[in-house]
Amino acid sequence: MCEEFFSRKIGEYGVEAILIEGLADIKHEYYCSIALDSSGRRFVLIASAEGGIDIEEVAATRPEAIVKENISLTEGLSEVVAKGVAERLGFSGDDLDSATDLFLKLWRIATEKEAQLVEINPLVLTPSGVVAVDGKMTLDDNAAFRQELVVELRKRKLTELEKTAQRVGFSFVELDGEIGILANGAGLTMALLDVLAQHGLEGMNFLDVGGGASKERVYEALKLIYTMKPKAVLINIYGGITRCDVVAEAILQTMKEFPDAPPMVIRLTGTREAEGVAILKDAGVDAYQDMMDAVGKLKEVMA
Amino acid sequence: MYIGKDSKVVVQGITGNQGRFHTQLMLEYGTNVVAGVTPKKGGQEVLGVPVFNTVQEAVKERGVDTSIIFVPARFTYGAVMESLDAGVNMTCIITEGVPVFDMVRLVEAAKVKGLNLIGPNTPGMLIPDKIKLGIMPGDMAHFGDVAVIAKSGTLSYEITKAIGNANIGVSAYIGIGGDPVRGKTLVEAFDYYVQDQGTNVIVLIGEIGSDDEEKVAEYIKDNDVKKSVVAYIAGKSAPEGKRMGHAGAIISGNVGTAQGKIDALKAVGAKVTETPWEIPEAVKTFL
Repeated sequence: MCEEFFSRKIGEYGVEAILIEGLADIKHEYYCSIALDSSGRRFVLIASAEGGIDIEEVAATRPEAIVKENISLTEGLSEVVAKGVAERLGFSGDDLDSATDLFLKLWRIATEKEAQLVEINPLVLTPSGVVAVDGKMTLDDNAAFRQELVVELRKRKLTELEKTAQRVGFSFVELDGEIGILANGAGLTMALLDVLAQHGLEGMNFLDVGGGASKERVYEALKLIYTMKPKAVLINIYGGITRCDVVAEAILQTMKEFPDAPPMVIRLTGTREAEGVAILKDAGVDAYQDMMDAVGKLKEVMA
Repeated sequence: MYIGKDSKVVVQGITGNQGRFHTQLMLEYGTNVVAGVTPKKGGQEVLGVPVFNTVQEAVKERGVDTSIIFVPARFTYGAVMESLDAGVNMTCIITEGVPVFDMVRLVEAAKVKGLNLIGPNTPGMLIPDKIKLGIMPGDMAHFGDVAVIAKSGTLSYEITKAIGNANIGVSAYIGIGGDPVRGKTLVEAFDYYVQDQGTNVIVLIGEIGSDDEEKVAEYIKDNDVKKSVVAYIAGKSAPEGKRMGHAGAIISGNVGTAQGKIDALKAVGAKVTETPWEIPEAVKTFL
């Protein structure tokens, strides 16, 4: 049974350890969390006396059964507010005190670790008191410079290729298709993958080479794509801070070093476009300026 | 307007590489950059712009009312707070990688003071032929009556340029940034251009993650918005649970899927295009 557990993946993480606890005699299940309300730009204490593991369904069908309290970061979560929530969930006596204490601790963990989510689900009431049975946290990658835990956990969830990408400094995600993708801008790269999907083509990866990419960064990105053995590679660059001539030089360098590389379709436009296109043309390589033309060519290559 | 031709701009972090480079481009565009701020470097000049130690001094000496931030992520909280404390009306945060907790605190502070923030991780704002407060290409479009509101940078450049190439004028371009917590939400920026007399069509460039586009759809319905809305949502083919470059661009559960956003916007009468390149044609049908 343990072996089976260790082979599982929970979200993006492998199982590293198993905690064995006594069987809880569950009288009632609750839900509670401190979560970032992104569009409201504040933190919220969310709790419910209904649901437990079915909380999504409760939220969808009976929103009135969910208690929400906005928390100001300047003022924090007060004991009065935490207790009020515990009362509304129906806790009384000693259980009321321990539930209140638990909400305050959740808030302390959230602020100390800069978590966007600290969730206990389910929180259960047993004859001997309130027990947290399962929990989950989401941390903020941007806080890595002052939160060691973020750095530690990030190392564990990335694939080897994703780790390489992080070291070199571009944004990379492995996908299931056969076409290697090198593009710039997260939104533009997503849009490119969508357009390919509309044409029955599937990307092997998401790769945003980032703003102002150096020759070396583009070269490393292409090298990484080659290691995935794609059937073809599509390069889509709209240069803003990124310069087309720098990208063109990096492309030629990889072509020289990897003569057996898969066919490459290039779309190059924006800053220093004329120079970039000329550099490629001198080496006998075509580059499109319109993205749909490049997609059309890619379809031919993949046919 | 959040900003205009007469805005007096201070560049925080003007002595850094990015700050200096983009100050030059903004000056070339005609933006009224009147001051720079870098702690301990007051008294210098960068590209003819006087540098001060604090925003407070820049406000006092040069009448600054707008700031643009180019300082590293770990110093951004302090820099923005300084701008808010000095009473600067609009602070545009270009910096990438600002922690969420810092942003929540800054948004709270801005609200208390009644001041405006935009970003972080944003290309900024552009009113063609009038002012460029940001890092976007200045030559994307000429002035007109179509507002472009975007979550992402490069994709919005591509679309805005296509709009310009189709000879459609733009009243304002505004990037709200791809992070989870933003100084201006999509709804706030949208509301602004619904009120704006000079804007007749609003182009919305969204992407997967969070519920901002759904909130815009709600807003359109609740306020019976009459202005025409054209939208494109990126990330239809993105897998669940993977972060697609932007810190905010992640689908978790059923929240923030491209299809959910497209359906919500279509239901309230917005024209949602299949590809970014269909946007200019869609906009033309409303002009």
